[in-house]
Amino acid sequence: MKFLIAIKDKNNESKDVLDIACRIAEGFSADFTICYVGKKSQAILETDLALTRQSLADWNIYHPGLEVLEWAFCYLKERGFAKNIDFSIENLIEHNGRVRMALPKEKNYQINLVLREGELLSELNQELKRGNFDIIILGSPNSSRMTHKLAQFLDTSILFVKNYNINYKYKILLGVDDSKATKRAIIFSTKISKQFLAEIKNVTVSKTTYIGKDYRNAHNWATKYFKRMKVPFTSKLLGGDPVDEFIQEAGNDHIIILGKSKGNELIKFFRGSKPIQTAQKANCPVLLVN
Amino acid sequence: MIIKNKNEIVNDILFWMEQKRWLIIISILGIIMFYLPCPENISIIGYRTIILVLLVVLLIITEPIPLPALALLIAILQVTFNIATPTEVARTFMNDSVFFIMGSLMMAVAIVQQGLDNRLALGLIRITGNSVKNIVLGFTLLSALLSSFIGEHTVVALMLPVGLSIIRNCNQQHSIKNLTALILFSIGYGATVGSIGTPSGGARNALMLEYWKTISNGNISISYLQWMILAYPMVIIGMLGTALLLPITFKPEIKQLDTSIRKLKIQVAHKGSIKGSDLMTIIIFVFIFLCWIFLHERYGLGIIAISGAFLYMVFGLIEWKDLNKHTNWGVILLFAAAISLGVQMKNTGAAFWIGNIIISNFSNLINENTILPYIVNILLTTFFSNIMSSSATVAVLGPITLNMGGDVLYMGMTTAIASAFGYFSVVAAPACMIIYSSGLIKISDFIRAGWRMGIMSISTLLLIYKFYWPLVINLINY
Repeated sequence: MKFLIAIKDKNNESKDVLDIACRIAEGFSADFTICYVGKKSQAILETDLALTRQSLADWNIYHPGLEVLEWAFCYLKERGFAKNIDFSIENLIEHNGRVRMALPKEKNYQINLVLREGELLSELNQELKRGNFDIIILGSPNSSRMTHKLAQFLDTSILFVKNYNINYKYKILLGVDDSKATKRAIIFSTKISKQFLAEIKNVTVSKTTYIGKDYRNAHNWATKYFKRMKVPFTSKLLGGDPVDEFIQEAGNDHIIILGKSKGNELIKFFRGSKPIQTAQKANCPVLLVN
Repeated sequence: MIIKNKNEIVNDILFWMEQKRWLIIISILGIIMFYLPCPENISIIGYRTIILVLLVVLLIITEPIPLPALALLIAILQVTFNIATPTEVARTFMNDSVFFIMGSLMMAVAIVQQGLDNRLALGLIRITGNSVKNIVLGFTLLSALLSSFIGEHTVVALMLPVGLSIIRNCNQQHSIKNLTALILFSIGYGATVGSIGTPSGGARNALMLEYWKTISNGNISISYLQWMILAYPMVIIGMLGTALLLPITFKPEIKQLDTSIRKLKIQVAHKGSIKGSDLMTIIIFVFIFLCWIFLHERYGLGIIAISGAFLYMVFGLIEWKDLNKHTNWGVILLFAAAISLGVQMKNTGAAFWIGNIIISNFSNLINENTILPYIVNILLTTFFSNIMSSSATVAVLGPITLNMGGDVLYMGMTTAIASAFGYFSVVAAPACMIIYSSGLIKISDFIRAGWRMGIMSISTLLLIYKFYWPLVINLINY
């Protein structure tokens, strides 16, 4: 598997993103790319800035984004990753404004460090197309509109690390419905459950008190799967607004996992979807599985 | 080939629309305005020129398309809107001011490539010693004096490594946030304040020279030296004011930088003594500077500037591939397009119409108080330079402010000078953007320091307009 981890600075939120990414990656033996997306300067000033950067490099002073990547790399080392490789400025390769540090492959996985500048959505989308990642892990976006855009336009699974507390013993809240991505969400949550030693709360919510056949089948399939995979779980069939129910059930000590909606993109663009609204409103990490 | 399903195609279209939303909104606005009835007292092509100006301003601020594309759009729409003929558009795109901007930018690249920063660092610390107060004064004065001749972005490219090295070499057991901000702003604001000193201080100054010629039908033509006589007092007061105000805003945590300066001396010593190429770089620049002062009437500022770039290449001080890589050709094209648009604003009466509308709101007050158009001009220019950039502000606003009443020379000078008052935002000036890109200062720091700088600069400019320019205007005999 290939993970893309997006960080923007050296603050606690980036640390949370790295922590949760490391914990998940351990279970998947995944390759991961840490990507720093910095703000781009105004186009009118771009060359001036490039000239200064060149001058600064002669004094061994590099882009602040590289310091963030170095900090992230050191954090990974602390966590037992990248034991045999070192952060080295000499290994930087620049192409079309994207800076990448070429690092040797470790036994089971490859770590990449990438520096980009520009608008977050556009840069992550370009990186995604380049690397074909299975999941993107990033902190909570500044606005709920940005959460919406990232969830809709990034064509992969996406984990928003929101209000993550390193000291919590997280459980998993899995929202099950009849969407196409639900099965993948069930499989994903099983793997994460094993990794976090976390119980899964298998929740199906119907807008009415009547639970339809497709919902019931999906719910039962999940139950059987968890039994077969021997993961601890509880099941609930609820009536009400799915978004509110998921958020209420999850509180702040769950990781919510939902399948991405495959409905009409135009409607999703204007009105959102259950997974998008949940990601916008929840007080805990939310994983939308593609 | 992967065939996408309908939903994926819709998503791709939505993504494109999301990325280009400003382009779509601005295009719709342009189309609506195009079909609205033309206002009174302006010709149809004048009205279309105003639409084009508005679109350009919005496209510069929101940046949905690359700058060179915007420059091309200006040319395309001038012809499409019947504002000018293709030949006229092509003719207005290239003139001496564009050569001047191009030559100055190319010389800046050559100067930065020589690594003169080491010499500057050494010279600076020899004079200032280890005291923070003196170092800040040194950074401000040196940045201001240099940027008035070689452009602010060049100076920041040279000075920032020195400033950051001092910060990094500090014993960082305690937080040195204020000291960091103090050193970086002394470079950034120093360079911004200095950039108004001569026409070669920034592209915006060259733009104003061209607008004067265009608006006055060639009656106003200011020389390099005449510009200096008018603007340099502002630089001197500005740099001293900056050196005074910054330590009040950012009180440094430490007063002496003994260790840091010692380390910097060692660092510079490692880079060796002055080389022949360093000396040659300085000699060529001084030669060009003297040509700007004494030979501009015969050769024009632009031809002299590109002669400088030519000499740097001939003497092997810079390779063409480096010049080509580091010169912002897109910006040069944009300024060429802006000058072309400025000419059409004058020819179609659009500049006069907008200027008249702005100033007619204050007509009663202007009769009583002649300083008012200048105050409006300064505030308008300061506002726009903080949301666009200083050069783009002069490019767009220049033809308008020259038509807002008041003396054309004074109005142009106040516009050019006030465009450097972009102290409040990161986007205003190259120097501000570059120091912000270090990642060590916050946007709020610009507000913290900017309001003091703003008040100081605006009041100084008004005093200079009121008392100094009338004294020297006969002396310069423009």
